[in-house]
Amino acid sequence: MNEAERTGKIKTAEINRALGVFIFLFGIIITFAMVFTETFIQQMTDMVAGLVLMTIGGGMLWKATHTLKKHKPEEAN
Amino acid sequence: MLSGIDYFIVIAYIVGMLLLGLYFKKFVSSSEDYFLGGKSLPFWAIGMSIVVSDIGALDFVGVSGQAYRYGIAVGNFDWVGSVPAMLLAAFIFIPYFWRGGMYTIPEYLGRRYNKSVRTIASATWILFFALDLGVLFWASAVLLNVLMGWPIWISILSTAGVVGLYTYFGGITAVIMTDVVQMIIMFIGGFALVFLSLDAVGGWENMVEKIGTMGPEYQSHFDIIRPIDTKSPFPWTGILFGLTFVMANAYMIGNQSIVQRCLTAKNEWHAKASMIFGSALKMFIPILVLFPGLMAVVVHPDLADGDQALPMMIKTILPPGLVGLMFAAFFAGLMSSVDSLLNSTATLFTKDIYEPFIKKNADDRHYLKVGQITTLVLLGLGVATAPISSDFPGIYVAIQTFMSYFQGPLFAILLLGIFWKRSTQWGGLSALVIGIGFAIFLNVFKAGFFTIEDPFLYISWWSFLLAFIVNVVVSLLTKKHTKAELDGLVFSSKIVTKNKTL
Repeated sequence: MNEAERTGKIKTAEINRALGVFIFLFGIIITFAMVFTETFIQQMTDMVAGLVLMTIGGGMLWKATHTLKKHKPEEAN
Repeated sequence: MLSGIDYFIVIAYIVGMLLLGLYFKKFVSSSEDYFLGGKSLPFWAIGMSIVVSDIGALDFVGVSGQAYRYGIAVGNFDWVGSVPAMLLAAFIFIPYFWRGGMYTIPEYLGRRYNKSVRTIASATWILFFALDLGVLFWASAVLLNVLMGWPIWISILSTAGVVGLYTYFGGITAVIMTDVVQMIIMFIGGFALVFLSLDAVGGWENMVEKIGTMGPEYQSHFDIIRPIDTKSPFPWTGILFGLTFVMANAYMIGNQSIVQRCLTAKNEWHAKASMIFGSALKMFIPILVLFPGLMAVVVHPDLADGDQALPMMIKTILPPGLVGLMFAAFFAGLMSSVDSLLNSTATLFTKDIYEPFIKKNADDRHYLKVGQITTLVLLGLGVATAPISSDFPGIYVAIQTFMSYFQGPLFAILLLGIFWKRSTQWGGLSALVIGIGFAIFLNVFKAGFFTIEDPFLYISWWSFLLAFIVNVVVSLLTKKHTKAELDGLVFSSKIVTKNKTL
């Protein structure tokens, strides 16, 4: 892998990490909104939507952290 | 007005977008970073961004409203009116633009035809985009005013502040990445709305049965193909010739704000894949946008204005939390339209007007600064003209309609430019000018030519056809370009083969 490719990967990972944090936090807020619902189906909808957001955000965060761990040390050398 | 948790979610979204946008400042150090994201973005982000740019908040409400009034025929705009054009763009046009290292569509036209074609095309886009800004700022302000209870001026200034800051600092990377968040939220909120709406109407079959018994005006609500004499604006001839052949292609291939996204891809494969991925996502849009409008026919049968269908469904069907999420997606749709216009107009002005006419061969930092200053000037212009646009309620539709008239002739010269080597600079120039003039003529005298109320699909078809013929005739009568002049600008099997190895 050349320098440009590695820089590109780090950039993508940093972007994904930022997006992941935002989406994950948003998922927590939506899941918390279950408290304010009235019916079971509304509760389940909020829970599923929140969990989907947390999964997407968490997934992006995990992948980005993994990529950064893999490529950042090389950058330091 | 929103309350409690929903209010908090909209605020959290706006603040989050601002912080995210500002974070992307670290990736901008040259004009290529600012206008093309350093040509380093992945296909999935670009594909999502294309979909979000295409379906802004106003379209979101409008398509649901049309589904409420006319039924599923409006879904044609996202299926045959998008997917084939996106695939054509992916495999034929985008590779040429990407390989040529272009920033704008007019830049291609300038290389293929001449400077006049480039300038006319660019100036027309700049004019339309700049006019649109004020309208979008006003729409955002009205939304914030209704939802949050903020005064109009505070709403305009907060929208301008948030969008302006992240577009100014983060450039197109910020524009695309904030679109990614919006698309994820829009899809999750949209599917939740469809699921709960289906539950509210007692399932799909029950809904079809109920709508079928509601009267003669609802009899065609489930016909996707409409006859020529339909009262809706979607006769099959208009859909096939105007939409599928002309407008869809012109939009996906000739619209600066769409194509510029593909040009940010890290390589040619990602550029093509972004359009293909976008087309796959696009197929879900009618489900998210059209179905709630259709179900509103059963849940809210007496709405005075069809455009109220989606907001009403969100308000009455979705639980707390998701109401805020969907309205945040609405607001994000407006922000996305504004940031796309700001960045695309700044790109067009810097690359097609400033660089060739005002200051050639300056250093890159200079052009980056010009792009950023143009963004600020446009922002000021949008804020200043926002209240004026409120005095003209039909202005958004008028601007969109005129933009569609410009797209027919533009697509004609793009198509011949790529596929016909014999097309000359004078053919392209005359086709563009006469085509736009003819579209305006047809619009002014539409009552004498067309029987349907809003014949924009037919007008784009006929102006495309005339521009095509004019280009062919004038090109045959004028001096053809040399082989060297056309190198890399026209379709040829040799070039395709060569680039397969890239």
